[in-house]
Amino acid sequence: MSGFMYELKKILLCQRGLLYIALVLLLGTVWLSASDSPADSAMEQYKDEYQWYLEKVKGYCNEESALYLEQEAGRIAEAKENQNALLENYYDGKISESEYKKESSDIEKILEHQNGFEVIYQQYLYICENTENRCFLQTNGWTGLLGKGTLNFILFLGILLLATPAFCSEYSCQMDALLLTSREGRKSALYKLLILIGAVLFLSFGISLMEYGFYRFRYGLPDGDYPIQSIRYFADSSKDISLLQGYVSIGLLRMFGGVFLALLLMFLSVLTKRYAVTLLTGAVSVIVPYVGLSKTSIYCLPLPLPFLLGTDFFAGDIVLRDALKGDEKRVFAEVDTVTLLALLSVSMLLCTLAAAWILRCNSNRWLMKSGRKKRGTLAVMLGLALAVTGCAGREKTGSVVYNSSAVFDCMGYEIIRDAETFDYYLRDASTKETYPLARSPVFGVFSEDEEIRACYVCPPYLYYTTSVMESHVNRVGNYNTNMTKVSVVELNLDTFEEKTIFEQITDSGRSLLGIDYETGDKWQFLDFHYAFFLNDESIFFLGNDGLTQVDRFTGKTLKLDIPVNGNISFDGESIFYKNEREVLTRYSVSEGEIYTYEDIVAYDFCMDEQSIYYVSRTDGGCLYSCGKDGNHKEMISDIPAMAVTCDAGHIYVLARESGEEIVFPKSR
Amino acid sequence: MTRLIKYEFYKLFCKPSILVVLILFSVMNLFKIDSEFHSYSYLADGNDSRSWNSVYWQLYENYRGEITAEKINHLLSLYQPLAHATADRTASTAKDNPDMMTGNIYSDLNILEKYYVKPMEYFYHYQTYALQVAERAKENAAVYRERGQTVEVRKNSAIYNLYAGRSIKTFAYEEMYNYYLNYDFSGILVLFLCLYGVVGTFVCEKETQMDMLLLTNPNGGKKTAFAKIAAAAFFVGSVAIWFSVVDYIGFAYSFGTTEGGNLPLYAVSNFSTAAVNCNLRQYAILSAVVRAVGVWTMSMVFLLISMFWRNALVPFVADFGAALCLIIAGASQSYLSHTWLKIINPYSLLANRVLFSKTEFIGLAGYPIQSFLAAIVFAITLGLVSIMAMLLLSKRNAHCRNQSYPAI
Repeated sequence: MSGFMYELKKILLCQRGLLYIALVLLLGTVWLSASDSPADSAMEQYKDEYQWYLEKVKGYCNEESALYLEQEAGRIAEAKENQNALLENYYDGKISESEYKKESSDIEKILEHQNGFEVIYQQYLYICENTENRCFLQTNGWTGLLGKGTLNFILFLGILLLATPAFCSEYSCQMDALLLTSREGRKSALYKLLILIGAVLFLSFGISLMEYGFYRFRYGLPDGDYPIQSIRYFADSSKDISLLQGYVSIGLLRMFGGVFLALLLMFLSVLTKRYAVTLLTGAVSVIVPYVGLSKTSIYCLPLPLPFLLGTDFFAGDIVLRDALKGDEKRVFAEVDTVTLLALLSVSMLLCTLAAAWILRCNSNRWLMKSGRKKRGTLAVMLGLALAVTGCAGREKTGSVVYNSSAVFDCMGYEIIRDAETFDYYLRDASTKETYPLARSPVFGVFSEDEEIRACYVCPPYLYYTTSVMESHVNRVGNYNTNMTKVSVVELNLDTFEEKTIFEQITDSGRSLLGIDYETGDKWQFLDFHYAFFLNDESIFFLGNDGLTQVDRFTGKTLKLDIPVNGNISFDGESIFYKNEREVLTRYSVSEGEIYTYEDIVAYDFCMDEQSIYYVSRTDGGCLYSCGKDGNHKEMISDIPAMAVTCDAGHIYVLARESGEEIVFPKSR
Repeated sequence: MTRLIKYEFYKLFCKPSILVVLILFSVMNLFKIDSEFHSYSYLADGNDSRSWNSVYWQLYENYRGEITAEKINHLLSLYQPLAHATADRTASTAKDNPDMMTGNIYSDLNILEKYYVKPMEYFYHYQTYALQVAERAKENAAVYRERGQTVEVRKNSAIYNLYAGRSIKTFAYEEMYNYYLNYDFSGILVLFLCLYGVVGTFVCEKETQMDMLLLTNPNGGKKTAFAKIAAAAFFVGSVAIWFSVVDYIGFAYSFGTTEGGNLPLYAVSNFSTAAVNCNLRQYAILSAVVRAVGVWTMSMVFLLISMFWRNALVPFVADFGAALCLIIAGASQSYLSHTWLKIINPYSLLANRVLFSKTEFIGLAGYPIQSFLAAIVFAITLGLVSIMAMLLLSKRNAHCRNQSYPAI
């Protein structure tokens, strides 16, 4: 067996190199799968609808595509108006069913892809800022692949584990002296260098390839030849490269960063001959500048870190305006190509010197070594000094019927809101005593940014959502300045015990120990929710832009295709709503099935455990009741009405002509 | 035993490399603190007569000390005309207006609002807010008493006692303390240094096979292990305290003042619901001690992990990985209300504002315990369990087991 093969066997098998490589690739894949969320969740959810428009405008934004999008925006707005008018006419008997069907099918054709249009229109607005280097394309894959800009800790730890023992293991058993006396001594060091460089290149290449495969499989990576500025992370970059070139360049830089780190570790291990010092210095050379320095400074350092990050070599300037002083603050300064090349050259030179030093120290001149250890340690330290300047426990939720338009039956309490302070209170219906709804005495006292947003009752529990905004170090250029979190709190109305059952930070820009990073827009809908309801598996948030289902176990979100402009009812199993044609519809949450009550067209409806009450639109506004399956219809009142709500014992109807509220007792 | 501990301490930690790292990290820490000041404080704009820095300190003499009606009226007489003049945002944006303190009317308005009006308003109203909390807690206690919720009754009584007497009577500059309390970088350096120090404690003797030889010594085995643990504990405690001192001195030097030390902790608006009633200077000491406890706990766990390996590679990477996980989990969970997660993560003690800035309780055996107390008790217990495990797992001096030798 040749010396090379011996070294290969030693590094990959005896020192568990292969195991570490496999572990890094495995953990990297698992972490990526677990932590990934799309940067633009609407683009992912309405992929087909978005794709439909994308095929029409794909590529650079020219006059034709701009005109098409503007016209389409007008057509959609007009179609929505026409749809409402058509519906009114049809239900008022002004047009026949066949006329309605004919015209509505035309309108539906226009509105068929409207969700996708909203996504592409947002992209269009971004592209309009600079049409020369921004294109229409599916961005989620490329944003995930390129636009993260954070350090891959798993790769970093893998390189530490791979490179450190190469020489340290020889020193720890004093094999180095023996090696130096042999003719193959120098070759042994060379083999080690070559094997480790190869292993690190393979590892970095593997990680890059794995990421490419993951994003290609998950979101697709189409149109790699479009400019890198097409994704927002590189919005103001002046570099003229394509997305694919960007990926390859970042991948190559990361491979170089890995090799640089490995050579640095080997250099340190030859210099210090101690595991602990080598590991400390290697780790500090990456982590301390990462946490302690600004991004602009990091990208000026001849250290492995900027190359391991890679991404921001291609990002543009980030300039924010300081609201207090009116100054502009440059949060990140673009790294120009000359600086990049200069940094790369210096780093390559350092790598070459390190490799030469490693080989020199492992040549047969072992008598020269005495007394070098302490100086070596000090040299490393000095070199470094120069270089570096949810969900809570779950209990079974009871079953109750929720109506978004009705008041809650709250076990003898009423939920009231103070007209002046906007604080929520619980009022005991019998004693008229009031209690603050949020049980924490400090809630909302010190900050106006702590508020209750919505309530939901499911006896014996009352659930409410709170929105809390906290400010910390208050200066632009730091995500840590503001943070908004939304929580769902469960209050037991018998004991007044409360606990938080769900909590999320809604901001997509986050900061951890001063390292800024972006998460997707997954939780932004929470900022705009005004009502919610829940069952054991999911929480449903109603916001201006729709109804979003959140899995209480996994935190997975799904925007449901349910219009929220009318009443929404929920009986623990199914959601009842009026569809676009104002026909009562039922969506089974567990099965995902939609059932339309074709003969119930309603101005408004509400429901209790047994019945649905609705103001019929096809019958001049009479009030009817029926079973949950739509059968056993009964007329309750023939007074034309506009709206209906109910509580435990009564039905409340808003008369159309007089505008008065009429109360009917429930018959059952 | 004291001599043995002293000997182990010299051997393990009085090494040039540790000293160099300590000095290097301290210098880096000071640079970082200075950059915090220049990056985030609006008063880091030099000594020009129209700089915010100069204007702020000129005005400061008028408003420092006890908050009185005269001072408030004087401040409002400066602020309100500016607020009126800029209300419709049509005032001149000229930056050389001779009538303005900073040369620009918006800039004058903003410095007054940010550094005087808002803090003084907060200080002035704090007593009312705190009283409101105390009253609510009292009402809550009565409500829960009716419902037989003993823990909640005790919790609300504790909140009442904590908030009933709170007030901020004086006005002072508190920005330095605000940034000091939000500073985490030195915690990372402390962890690195302690990791480097303790990872070699057991490993260095295994690398040179001195561990076998030690077992033949009357003081070898468990006694040596105990001495090593004691020396490591002393080392990590000293490092943590040292960096807390460096932080304080660094902030005081960079900001050029230690003003505001006598203000209560809740005078910093992020700490409005602070868990303790003490002043900022006392909190700096409390924070240093709590941080030392957190570092000690993490170091004892590092030490326990390192016991099982013959070289520093795997324990260093494993400890480093574990520390990264704790830091990332701690930092990302710090603003959420999962109190138990904060309590069981020793990193919460390092960045202890997550525990002290909120009045949070957990119920234990019918008694509400404040989260910071629970976290300290948990950390000490975890540290002691690690020490017990190390002593149990360390090899006994088999050769001398049945003989008595005089101790060193």
